[in-house]
Amino acid sequence: MGDAALRYAGVSLGYHGTPVLTDVELTLAGGQRLALVGPNGAGKSTLIKSVLGLVPVLGGTATVLGGAPAGARHRTGYVPQTGSLDADFPVTAAQVVMMGRYRRIGWWRPTRAVDRRAVREALDRVGLADRAGTHFGILSGGQRQRVLLARALAAEPELLLLDEPFNGVDAVSQEAVVRVLRELGAAGTALVLSTHDLTVARELADQVCLLNGRQWAIGPPAAALTGDILRRAYGGHAVDVGDGRTVLVEP
Amino acid sequence: MIEPFTVPFLGRALAELALLALVCGPVSVFVFVRRLSFVSDALTHTVFPGVVIGFLAGGVEGIVAGALVAGVVTAVVLTLLTRGGALSDDASTAVVLTAMFSVGVVLVSRRSSYTADLTSFLFGRILTVTPRQLAETAVLAAVILGLLLLGARALIFRAFDPAGAAAAGYRIAGLDLWLNLVVALVVVAAVRAVGTILVVALLIVPAAAARMLTVRLTVMAALGTGLILLAGYGGLLASWTASVEHGISLTSASAVVLLLVLAYLLLLPLGALRRRRRRPAPARRGSPHELVG
Amino acid sequence: MNWWDDALHRATAEVVLVGALAGLIGVQVVLRRLSFFTMALTHATFPGVVAAAIIGVNIYLGGVAAGAIIALGVAALGRRAGQNAAAATGVMIAGGFALGAGLVATQSGFSRDLSSFLVGSILTVSPRDLLVTAVALVVVAAILLAGARPLLHTGFDPAGARAAGFAAGRWDIVLLLTIEVVVVTVVPAVGTILALALVVAPAAAARLWSARLSVITALAVTFGVLSGLGGLYASSRWNVAAGASITLTATAILALSTVLSRVVRGRGPASLGSPAAPA
Repeated sequence: MGDAALRYAGVSLGYHGTPVLTDVELTLAGGQRLALVGPNGAGKSTLIKSVLGLVPVLGGTATVLGGAPAGARHRTGYVPQTGSLDADFPVTAAQVVMMGRYRRIGWWRPTRAVDRRAVREALDRVGLADRAGTHFGILSGGQRQRVLLARALAAEPELLLLDEPFNGVDAVSQEAVVRVLRELGAAGTALVLSTHDLTVARELADQVCLLNGRQWAIGPPAAALTGDILRRAYGGHAVDVGDGRTVLVEP
Repeated sequence: MIEPFTVPFLGRALAELALLALVCGPVSVFVFVRRLSFVSDALTHTVFPGVVIGFLAGGVEGIVAGALVAGVVTAVVLTLLTRGGALSDDASTAVVLTAMFSVGVVLVSRRSSYTADLTSFLFGRILTVTPRQLAETAVLAAVILGLLLLGARALIFRAFDPAGAAAAGYRIAGLDLWLNLVVALVVVAAVRAVGTILVVALLIVPAAAARMLTVRLTVMAALGTGLILLAGYGGLLASWTASVEHGISLTSASAVVLLLVLAYLLLLPLGALRRRRRRPAPARRGSPHELVG
Repeated sequence: MNWWDDALHRATAEVVLVGALAGLIGVQVVLRRLSFFTMALTHATFPGVVAAAIIGVNIYLGGVAAGAIIALGVAALGRRAGQNAAAATGVMIAGGFALGAGLVATQSGFSRDLSSFLVGSILTVSPRDLLVTAVALVVVAAILLAGARPLLHTGFDPAGARAAGFAAGRWDIVLLLTIEVVVVTVVPAVGTILALALVVAPAAAARLWSARLSVITALAVTFGVLSGLGGLYASSRWNVAAGASITLTATAILALSTVLSRVVRGRGPASLGSPAAPA
């Protein structure tokens, strides 16, 4: 059990040999929750994709679940932004969740009772057991996000990555997602989620990683998200509102 | 209504269409969800040089081999070009389509009977299908359905959520090549018998029409197959009746396509109705062609 | 003897005009990813042209009427980009082609007409075709010049353009109808395949060299004209179909541009069309 879920040492990431994110230093143990915080274009999605081996590591060493990033994909769950999906696509909620089982099922075998049970349980956990046969496109934004979370759950991952899971999500769905994420952490699953919502990061994460082109801070929320650091990372977009609090003004 | 099909050549034509219906129902679903209409259209054009070279090298029997080579080359080139990212998908598809078709035209334009060759390439020779051709189509149909069943889950995942599929460890380029090859095989199987005009329609229209009625993928495939069978039967009958009883030369390929398109148009209001009952979708990504980084 | 009486002279003038016209509109087609729409238009105007010829009306009129229906249909569908729009465009191709080919086949001696629809017969252009192409060139250039700013704005950022007071939907329709005018003008003379090739390939090649619209446009027109002249020369030199050799010349220019622009810059263009934008 000596392996950390995630270990990045002096990592820089980028496309076509041009770095877009540098100086990433982080270690994440099983059961811990890490929030990636930063403005749009800061490199949050890039970091998440690098964990999946979809963005090349230009420098430093990145270890995911004890090995090279691409080699850990079958033990990693990924929840994309719902906005990137086609609402017209003819699939049901249960079909989407079943996608999380595809790698286990393999190419040829038909789905088995254990797969169908896993799908039911995953939908139940996010509170959508009654919507299994519903067309994905009919669901609300928050419900879609929960279906995608259920898909990741059905894969039974050791490391779960979520890209902006609370974007355009209603309060009920946000609560359901937060509850599931806490349960997962308690059960030993490591979590990485990107967000531009500092409140969510403070409440949910054990560790916060502040990004904007490079890593500006890492540590417990109270230490990493001080007004001083935020002002430096965000430039003019961080504004003091008194009481020692800082708010961000998105351009 | 049955009687014309007791004429052997008409019976064989219907059998050929039934085989293609079995394949094109499911394949058109994938063409629909991956938005490969343009790629399908391109493939029907790019097998042309293969058909010509195959014919010049090996006579009528060389056509399938030539088309097969050209189809596979196109599938590979299109997959590579769309991965490369230097040109957008649709521009590279257009360029491959026009360039390869032109190679075929250059090859035939030096022969005197060139316009007749083009015409049979467009319309096919559905009424002169031989038992041997039927057997060839059946073999190709089995191969295509096998490839499709084997890849179905991964292909659906990739179509729905490319980033998620890549994250799950699927190789997107490999899956794209797989589907392009399946479409190329359909074109090869069908083009000599039914011509390019009909192949394009068989690959695009059935699923698009079935989508108005259902959101279930398997139901879409089955409806697509049924639709092709109906249109195939109706089209052959119409073209037979028109030419035998009214002396109008209505090509069977055109008749089948027009029936398919008619079905699509009749179902359009149903699709609009379904959409109206649904909640409005939130803003989506701007381009239908975005690739995974 | 008049200079225009020579078929080769007329063909030369026609390819210069068509190359310029296609290159001009091609920039919009490539940047807006409208290649498939252009292909659909070439096929969907076909039945209009054939029907006009059969009932004895001006064929340009038939093409314009059929194309306008399609362009407006796409504009309506385009609001909801997605699988249905792509499929609907495909249905138009299939249906238009089958209807046109079916109509042609009811006439005798149709093989000739069909193949000239596909690959054109640039060596038989009449002075009237030349005049129509020249007029279309002037009209299209004027529209693109007058609409340059709104077209750029709506193409790059529809929501922003609407906020800035441009009627984005109306400008989309203007663009689609302009493409339609080009297709209807060009297809009878040079065929569908060549029309598509001359619209897409020169503009795609030009895009590789620059990110500035004015430079891209100038290059696209130049490449279009060069493809026409080079292809026509190759056609008479080696006795192959003119439409095909022009298409292959345009493709060769694109292939050369892909290689050379990479060598010159070190790598491909960084902005438009690059798949891996960091988020």
